[in-house]
Amino acid sequence: MRAIALPTSELPDEVVKELHARVYTRGDQKEVRFDWRAVPALLPVWWNGRLQIVRWGNRDRAERKLPPTGWTWKATVEKGRWVGIEPEPVEIPANYVLANGVWFRVREGLRGLMVRTPSGVPAVFVVCEPATRYYRVMTRAEWMPVLIKEII
Amino acid sequence: MAGFIAHLDADAFYVSAERVRHADLANKPVGVLGNNGACVIAKSYEMKAKGVKTGTPIWDAAKMCPEGVYVKRDFYWYEVLSRKMLGIVGTFSPKLEYYSIDEFFFHAEPLRHGQQLATTATTIRDHILEATGLPVTIGIARTRTLAKLFSDTGKPFGAVAVLTRDHERELLAKMPVTEISGIGGKRADRLAPYGIRTCLDLADADGRLVKRLLTKTGHEIWMELNGEPVMPIRPERPPHQVLGRGGSLMGNVEDPKVLWAWCVRHVERLIEELRYHNVRTTTLAVEVGWKDQGWTGGTSNSPTPTDRIDELLDLARASLRRAYVTGRTATHMQVKATELRRGKGFQLSLFDKPDPKKDKLATVKAAINEKYGRFKVRTATTLYLPAVYRDPANEYDICDVRGKVCF
Repeated sequence: MRAIALPTSELPDEVVKELHARVYTRGDQKEVRFDWRAVPALLPVWWNGRLQIVRWGNRDRAERKLPPTGWTWKATVEKGRWVGIEPEPVEIPANYVLANGVWFRVREGLRGLMVRTPSGVPAVFVVCEPATRYYRVMTRAEWMPVLIKEII
Repeated sequence: MAGFIAHLDADAFYVSAERVRHADLANKPVGVLGNNGACVIAKSYEMKAKGVKTGTPIWDAAKMCPEGVYVKRDFYWYEVLSRKMLGIVGTFSPKLEYYSIDEFFFHAEPLRHGQQLATTATTIRDHILEATGLPVTIGIARTRTLAKLFSDTGKPFGAVAVLTRDHERELLAKMPVTEISGIGGKRADRLAPYGIRTCLDLADADGRLVKRLLTKTGHEIWMELNGEPVMPIRPERPPHQVLGRGGSLMGNVEDPKVLWAWCVRHVERLIEELRYHNVRTTTLAVEVGWKDQGWTGGTSNSPTPTDRIDELLDLARASLRRAYVTGRTATHMQVKATELRRGKGFQLSLFDKPDPKKDKLATVKAAINEKYGRFKVRTATTLYLPAVYRDPANEYDICDVRGKVCF
């Protein structure tokens, strides 16, 4: 997956204002797109009881102790490979997800793993798993984000 | 004003149903994907405007409409809304046919004395939108064939009452004959040499010629086009002559074990249907669709009607052996019970021994699945299909929506 989108109506006004360059119109509704290719790459997360916009992964390799990606395997998390940096499971709210050119609707969003960099900056990694057959056919992707309360 | 028939057709039903629960999808190009996630099975008008058609592969659709949003189908949800609509229409008309998940026919009567039928159609349409969130189009005419044709002209969100012959002729003249349900390309080809190209051409043709060219069914359509109702509204679905389950194998299947697992899955689904309709079968046919190589089939018979898994799997095994072609790649399969008998009161053969233990086992399996969900207890052979059972959306298909007249 490369991006997610949330209608502006689901984000606080000040956040929309701050992210105005990432606001797009689809149909007659405005939405904020969080794209891995955007600089900086950002994602919304529910964390500490409120919606926050945080760094998506470590694409710019700013943190040497973090992998230079925006994703992590669910199996890796379950094996405890992240334990050393005290990760926290978080929810990434999303209405639409983009994978290989296909936007698809999700019910609640994606599972994420939040960590703090040594300098204290929060960063989130999208938790992934091998794609279901349906997802693989739909997007031609071999892996998929772990969705909240949903199987595609 | 008596004697008019209404046809209700939900507008882009699957998309509208998704918009009921996801309001953000309104006014966006939306496509609902089918059982495999490969093709668009329903599209919004916004997506249609970009050239996406029903059946367009997702990878083509995504190029034609990059801003489109795709949704995985959910027949549970579509049935909930379909039955809600059905209940509402039933309050307006007691004579109602559940034609398909998104189409009904019903007897059209003014809701109050002196009301125009166009107003009646508008009132029902608006009420359905308010109560369910679903936009529908309603066409009213002298026969069901005409009503269906005219509701198509009113889409989307139309309410059309065509009550006079002149009005009928005006609209029929603009419609190609292939617009009529039941007249496809081949039948149209038979009509073309006689100059019959529009619905009005067909209506004005000699009835004997139409009967000769299109047989009895075509003649009935001709009568209906001329305002003579011969296809009644069917409040109850006529009993099934054949029950079947099957479809795509969700990819290429070469391993005979996996092919057998699919067969067992379809037999288990078929048994649910047999039990629901309280019928048993003496004949089980298995048809296999092969990649680029057509279909083959096999049939097996039992001396006694049955709905029991062990007996039907014996028949299925023999039928599949007959249908199986070594070295080919299977893509589709159908399992059909073609000789149906009432579930009770049938004659056992001289050599049949009642087997109450197996009967009880079948009853317990059905009861557990009824209580805890479909396929909670299933034949171990189906463990070869983990991906199929992992996804709850595969538990329910369009054919599982019961009581509709049409597929």
